[in-house]
Amino acid sequence: MAENTNNSGLLQVRLVTPDRVLLDATAEAVELPSMSGYLEALYGAAPLLSELGAGEVRLHGGSSNDQVFFVAWGFVEVLPERVTILAETALHPDEIDLAEAEAELKHSQDLWNQAGDEQVKYDEANTVARVAEEKIASAQGAKH
Amino acid sequence: MANVLDLRRRIRSVKNTRQITKAMKMVSAAKLRRAQERAMQARPYAQMLTNVLESLVRRTDLYGADGGDVMHPLLVEREEKNVLVLVIAGDKGFAGGFNSNIGKAAQKFIDERRALGQNIDLEPIGKKAIGLYKRRFPAAVYEHKEEEYDNGLSKHIENIRHRAEAIEVAAENPTLLIKAGFDEVTALGATIVSRYEHAEIDSVYIVYNEFKSVISQRVVVEKLLPIRKLGAHEITASEEMTEEQKEAAAKAAQSSGISVNEPEETAYEQEAKKFGTADVDYIFDQSPERLFRHLMPRYVTTQIFHALLESIAAEHAARMTATDAASKNAGELIDKLSLTMNRLRQAAITKEIIEIVSGAAAL
Repeated sequence: MAENTNNSGLLQVRLVTPDRVLLDATAEAVELPSMSGYLEALYGAAPLLSELGAGEVRLHGGSSNDQVFFVAWGFVEVLPERVTILAETALHPDEIDLAEAEAELKHSQDLWNQAGDEQVKYDEANTVARVAEEKIASAQGAKH
Repeated sequence: MANVLDLRRRIRSVKNTRQITKAMKMVSAAKLRRAQERAMQARPYAQMLTNVLESLVRRTDLYGADGGDVMHPLLVEREEKNVLVLVIAGDKGFAGGFNSNIGKAAQKFIDERRALGQNIDLEPIGKKAIGLYKRRFPAAVYEHKEEEYDNGLSKHIENIRHRAEAIEVAAENPTLLIKAGFDEVTALGATIVSRYEHAEIDSVYIVYNEFKSVISQRVVVEKLLPIRKLGAHEITASEEMTEEQKEAAAKAAQSSGISVNEPEETAYEQEAKKFGTADVDYIFDQSPERLFRHLMPRYVTTQIFHALLESIAAEHAARMTATDAASKNAGELIDKLSLTMNRLRQAAITKEIIEIVSGAAAL
């Protein structure tokens, strides 16, 4: 990269939500919940664009304070010295309302039962269920 | 002729009014500042989403093998028979011509489209917009159909639209402006996208007050769907501010310490512009077609969100200008009344003196 070359060995991590830039910090490594499974980006990673599913973004080292964020859907651009995360919802795990998440999980089951013969609706129900399950897992993980 | 006591009472009442409008102006100015900030902070996300979509379009074959067919339902252009119009106004009055200007622009658009024989679905956002259409046009009627499957284990639900009139109110969004949360807008966007994909509507327009800065705003009709060009706002009609309005707005902004210039791009925004466009060969984790499918509805949502935030800023700006003008008018009225009162008082004094003097002279 010609611009912004830093040799600190740290990744510049940004987390952007529809409302604002939630986080701007450096980190040694970032764990990302990609649609096809968790991946971890380190300094010098190959350029990558990936869709994020529901799960936790975990930062390690640097000025990131080892923060963890729950994201529901997003998109990430990984460059050798920069990681930019676009997240539709991003929450600290201790901000998650557990009761609400459980209600969402129940709602997803209703959606599934009412999907009839439309594949799209099953997919939608699955997505809602997955987000709810991850949310619950993330909230419970924060307590331990 | 009013006497001094009446005038004094009147002046006191006008002073009270001025106090209220002044306070309202300060409140609106504070709210405007916050709304402007919010609109600014929402920009990087919108920019980045657009960037990803653009780079996808450039990289992949989203067009059919023959090069012509578009692969996403939101890009499909149909003949416009049923048009959905989102009308964003405010929740409250006291904002000068804000609500009525939106109403006028929307009505003009509706009339034009009706003249072409198109059906109109209205989706008002904000209490003032809802009030505008509630009594005039009927609500859209959906037939709710449920079918049981697998011995009652599964249900098939379908909502079938029955159009009775040429202009109907498809849905109302009375709470959207209170928080203007992204989740709520997502829900709204999802219903619009699904209606478009099911060909219930053939195009979507949004009428709102665009807000760049206090002196640079206009009421626009923007085409939301089908998407012709990513990242571009396709304005089909617009109503600019008059010079007079601009002057009033600039005065109001100055006296409450709000900049009349467009806010400068933040570093984040500049960074956002580079998102996904670095001159490297990205590895795509998922298939571009799939990504595109997931990104498109979100793009639409972001566009609505953007319009909403700008409209909210514009509403506060309009209220600030209106209450500033009201304060000024109240001030003028007070001056005029004070003058009349002083004259009256002086006249009374003069009269008394003359009476005394002429009384003394008669002795």
